[in-house]
Amino acid sequence: MGATVTVNEAQSFDYGEEFSLLDSMEEHHIPVTYNCRGGYCGRCKVQLTQGKVNWVQDSLVPLEEGEILVCCCVPDGSISLAT
Amino acid sequence: MAYSTFNRVKNDALKEPMFFGQNVNVARYDQQRHAIFEKLIEKQLSFFWRPEEVDLSTDRKDFMAMAEHERHIFLSNLKYQTLLDSVQGRSPNVAFLPVVSLPELETWLETWSFSETIHSRSYTHIIRNVVDDPSIVFDDIVDNPEIVKRAETVTRYYDAFIEMCSQYSLFGEGTHQLNGEEVVVSLGALKRQLYLTIASVNVLEAVRFYVSFACSFAFAERAIMEGNAKVIKLIARDEALHLAGTQHMLNLMANGQDDPDMVVIASSCKNEVIEIFREAAEQEREWAQYLFKDGSMIGLNAEILSNYVDYITNVRMRGLGLDEIFETRTNPLPWMNAWLVSDNVQVAPQEAEISSYLVGAIDSDMDGADFDDFDL
Repeated sequence: MGATVTVNEAQSFDYGEEFSLLDSMEEHHIPVTYNCRGGYCGRCKVQLTQGKVNWVQDSLVPLEEGEILVCCCVPDGSISLAT
Repeated sequence: MAYSTFNRVKNDALKEPMFFGQNVNVARYDQQRHAIFEKLIEKQLSFFWRPEEVDLSTDRKDFMAMAEHERHIFLSNLKYQTLLDSVQGRSPNVAFLPVVSLPELETWLETWSFSETIHSRSYTHIIRNVVDDPSIVFDDIVDNPEIVKRAETVTRYYDAFIEMCSQYSLFGEGTHQLNGEEVVVSLGALKRQLYLTIASVNVLEAVRFYVSFACSFAFAERAIMEGNAKVIKLIARDEALHLAGTQHMLNLMANGQDDPDMVVIASSCKNEVIEIFREAAEQEREWAQYLFKDGSMIGLNAEILSNYVDYITNVRMRGLGLDEIFETRTNPLPWMNAWLVSDNVQVAPQEAEISSYLVGAIDSDMDGADFDDFDL
């Protein structure tokens, strides 16, 4: 469906149906901090600066407006992230 | 207000605050005021593991071959972990259950404490394996001044809160003469102590535990004591979840999504919470000096561990929306991340592939479309 993910206005890649944004970022060698991959450590928290995401697993950590966990969601159309 | 094990007053738990509302009565989970606690329970149950599932057979050989100062580091770290989980295995239950008002939170507290008791059992499993007489290790936890000093600070907030709750439960609000002393019991002071106690638990799990994990994993980085590291990896996975639990409690209180009184209290406690973080970090740095007093080990020394204390304290403070208090911005132990990745934790192989594995899980979401294939 052609979702482009832009990271820190510097790098961009096309999301390719991976399980999560985290998997997709790893696939494209975008540096990202993570620990649990299960939505409970909060280490992969980033800012969603543009666009929408769909959640594929629950976040178990508190999130502020605009924050997402890349291990828990996938893009719904093109998006921009600030790490 | 006296505690009742089954509050006879019909109440709507959806309208109760997390703490200091009506006592819970029916343990029902079909509706939740704060659904996050139900999700944490589900996740914790899916993590269930037993220490005996981890093979420690090569650890004893590794331990015997270690230099004396390395044995001191390993055993002291294990004693500290034993102290922390001894406290955590009982304290959330003893302190918070008498004043909890939501069934899902009550069960989360019990589930959380229970998982800490598994951790305590693991330390016995590890200690039995490496020394002939476990009493030498366990007895030192209450004798060793360095450990006792830590015990005092990790239990201070809990103990004060438990004492205040007992007075509130027995005598209610007001000024009372107790053992010849005048004691003022107020709900406001209790709520303030509650907030600070949860903050201190958050620091215990977010900072103190992680410093001890760094020591455990540093041995395994050298390919020794790997059984121990496997156990600690499982413990670290649980602790990340417990940490999410206390962060949620603090945020729900501070954001006004629970008891309105707590918004003002949380705001007034901000500086004290920062000081709890600062004190814990200072103590952990002192502890690093004690651990490495007789010598360092490859990959870890007092200075590197102290830098990690600063780094992890900053990370945790950011997690609560507080400003960082230390200069260290980068992780001085980058290899820690590999050990904290919990998706490849191995327990029983059939249960270890994914961390969210649920035993006997069923999908209970049904709608009309699910019956489309049915012909009668």
